[in-house]
Amino acid sequence: MVEILVTSCWGKQLKNEPKQMKFEWLFLTIAPCAADTINSPLDQFEIIPLIDMKIGDLYFSFTNSSLFMLLTLSLVLLLFHFVTKNGGGKLVPNAWQSLVELIYDFVLNLVNEQIAGNVKQRFFPCILVTFTFLLFCNLQGMIPYSFTVTSHFLITLGLSFSIFIGITIVGFQRNGLHFLSFLLPAGVPLPLAPFLVLLELISYCFRALSLGIRLFANMMAGHSLVKILSGFAWTMLCMNDLFYFIGDLGPLFIVLALTGLELGVAILQAYVFTILICIYLNDAINLH
Amino acid sequence: MLEGAKSIGAGAATIASAGAAVGIGNVFSSLIHSVARNPSLAKQLFGYAILGFALTEAIALFALMMAFLILFVF
Repeated sequence: MVEILVTSCWGKQLKNEPKQMKFEWLFLTIAPCAADTINSPLDQFEIIPLIDMKIGDLYFSFTNSSLFMLLTLSLVLLLFHFVTKNGGGKLVPNAWQSLVELIYDFVLNLVNEQIAGNVKQRFFPCILVTFTFLLFCNLQGMIPYSFTVTSHFLITLGLSFSIFIGITIVGFQRNGLHFLSFLLPAGVPLPLAPFLVLLELISYCFRALSLGIRLFANMMAGHSLVKILSGFAWTMLCMNDLFYFIGDLGPLFIVLALTGLELGVAILQAYVFTILICIYLNDAINLH
Repeated sequence: MLEGAKSIGAGAATIASAGAAVGIGNVFSSLIHSVARNPSLAKQLFGYAILGFALTEAIALFALMMAFLILFVF
């Protein structure tokens, strides 16, 4: 699809087809898929089964999604393991230990700021694991030719729904049936109550949905954008015309800048996901 | 025909960026206002602003996602 778009915009491209090869080395790191035969920016999110497995009617294949999730997990676990090997690391941290301490401190501060009351430490491990998992998944997706685990509905919605069900259970555990007062703000006139309860219920349920969709949409849109623009940059650079070549580097630098932005978004979205979990958890524990 | 309709639909979906632009501008203008009034809160306010920025940007990305879905999925 994007090929059609590009050729209709820049009709010169087809003429220069054989000369494309000589710029290829330049793009190996920046425009991973532009040189391939892949022609839709959404093809990078395709799930390919690596090891086919079928148990009964269940489809248990080991896909590239699972591979990259395992990679993320092993990366995080190895990092944390080596840093805390000798009972808590060194007194003067090296670079790796500083990184782990940075992440730990960051999440600890976040939890301390957002969740009031004396129970917050009980939820800290769960929140830390969520943050590190999302952070490393998002950052791993920025490596060219890799697969972004968090760019799938299944992963993000599974994560957000399970966390949300957990938060609701925590709310009922700590407040009992009093938790239902969450649905009715204090001081509401009685005739308005049915509508407000319905509205609050919808907005409460929509939190889980929006939590997952936000992460998914950010990741998917960002990666597709980089891919489309790298396709443009590729086409521009393939025009071996001196006149065009002067302005050709424009899209390339836009792609570079966008890659930087995407790195920022990867970190920011992990942060936003975590802080929203903290806010929702605080709402559930200390009713408003 | 279908291709043309798809392009029109995708283009129309990007109108939503206007709203997101207003929202993001609003977030940062409020940040500048507040920091100008009370510079000692700058660090804390910046955190809130980034959070608001991310939440607003997500709306723009919903629109972008719709455009992509119209163009490439259907």
